[in-house]
Amino acid sequence: MMAMPGATLSRWTLAYFAAAVVSLLLAEGLMAAGFGYPSAGIRAPETLAVVHCVTIGWMSLLMLGALFQFVPVLIAGPIHDNDLPLPALVLILLGLLTLIASFLQLAGLLPPARATFLIATVLLGAGFTLALWVLGRTLAGAWPLNLPAQFVAVGLASVAATAAFGIIFTLGFGGWAGSPALARLHALGVPLHIIAGLGGWLSFTAIGVSHRLLAMFMLSPELEGASVRWTFRLGCLALAIIIGVGAVVAAAGHDPGWVLALGGLAGLGCLGLYGRDAVQLYRKRLRPLIELNSRMAAIALLHLAAAAILITFCTLSGLLGRSVGALVFLSCFGWLSGLGLAKLYKIVAFVTWLECYGPVLGKTATPRVQDLVVEPRAVKWFWLYFAAVDVATLCLFFGLVHGFRTAAATMCLATAGIALELVRTRRLSNVKEPLRLPQGVREPRLLFTVIAN
Amino acid sequence: MSEETPESAMIEKIRTALKLVIDPELGYNIVDLGLIYDVAVKDGHEAIITMTTTTKGCPATDYLRMGARDAAFSLDSIDEAEIILTYTPPWTPQMMSPEAKTHFRIAD
Repeated sequence: MMAMPGATLSRWTLAYFAAAVVSLLLAEGLMAAGFGYPSAGIRAPETLAVVHCVTIGWMSLLMLGALFQFVPVLIAGPIHDNDLPLPALVLILLGLLTLIASFLQLAGLLPPARATFLIATVLLGAGFTLALWVLGRTLAGAWPLNLPAQFVAVGLASVAATAAFGIIFTLGFGGWAGSPALARLHALGVPLHIIAGLGGWLSFTAIGVSHRLLAMFMLSPELEGASVRWTFRLGCLALAIIIGVGAVVAAAGHDPGWVLALGGLAGLGCLGLYGRDAVQLYRKRLRPLIELNSRMAAIALLHLAAAAILITFCTLSGLLGRSVGALVFLSCFGWLSGLGLAKLYKIVAFVTWLECYGPVLGKTATPRVQDLVVEPRAVKWFWLYFAAVDVATLCLFFGLVHGFRTAAATMCLATAGIALELVRTRRLSNVKEPLRLPQGVREPRLLFTVIAN
Repeated sequence: MSEETPESAMIEKIRTALKLVIDPELGYNIVDLGLIYDVAVKDGHEAIITMTTTTKGCPATDYLRMGARDAAFSLDSIDEAEIILTYTPPWTPQMMSPEAKTHFRIAD
């Protein structure tokens, strides 16, 4: 019996993407307006509001939306439950808004209310638990996992760890954490929370998925064997040291600096091998002309390499303390967000094609996925985005607040340009007649996928 | 030179009909991409199509299978179709037709 094609489409991925892009635009707008670092301190509540708008609202929702669509591809099996992602999204968004409100209360910008941190904790915890349940059950159906899926599984464990640290911190902010060990974790564990989130959840998952997506979109031979396995092992070792050992050391009241250095060494090894793999994927590709998403992914990978080199250099030269803001910014916006925007541009077109034209394949002539986009028009926004990120990073290194705000405003403009291209793709605005709406094809909805039966 | 039989003529018609089905990612028809491994006709009315996809687990897989079936059904004499999906041997770009290789600038 032939499987139902709609089983391969995620119903709510587009809603996650829309919420993610709005969060990114909001965060960039706030940075342009001088809200948070560097106008305020790096651990100021205003900064934390912007940081969580980026990490939860933009990057985590983007990653979750992409995983709901691509975990079934990685395991060649169906998603566990196609409806639960919607309540998970609503809970995460409500939790994020409450968390931002809580930070604004700490900053004295909203009237104080002690319970908001607790409410944010419950809402975010419930939302991420639901999302992890769907993805975890989907992966569990494909045991034993292939290597890309193993990366995702470790990424999911890392987001659980990130959330656990976050819950401890929010309880601490709200004055609900009574135990001394929790108070010590709150005081010393922030780097562990950041590395678990940016490193374990977002980067490690992106590394695993990108092995597969880069090979798929560039017709490169799938990388197998020792190199990818060692990338995985070294990454796991780094995360186990930093998250596991680091948490024990911080809870005991000791500075986890040496743990970070040790885990960082393993992490560098992992990134070095991944860099070599990525170069192999680009060099061995059988498709000489590559699309915008693969070209821009290469630019994001260069930003990852730059971030890794700069973090190593700053650590060895004792400059890490004063440059940590710039380095985290470069990792978030040059690497993760750059890769995210590049793949978003592709995935929206691909999912829209599957939804609209997949069901009429073989019955009528259909456009290509590439006919849904106009790359020459979109590429200028990507170049503007990366240029603005680089200028903003330099401004943070050299303490140029006004320069940073101008660069953030430029990032916001570039993101809005890319977002407009995504809406055009979704509206099929770029597809020429008569291929645009042949018989049996309906214009897609902006925020969700209609799955044909 | 082999003689054309009614069956080989029908197979050729099915292959032509299958050219309506494109791989969405590559934007080229599945016949010239080399994704159709075999076409056979049983009892004059049943098409048996053995095919693959460029990558295992491709989200378009089931659409491609149903597209191949619907393309075969577009011929009046075909009222049954069996679509066999295989990954043995795995597809490589070297399986493309010369025209497709030229289009994608892939060297022999």
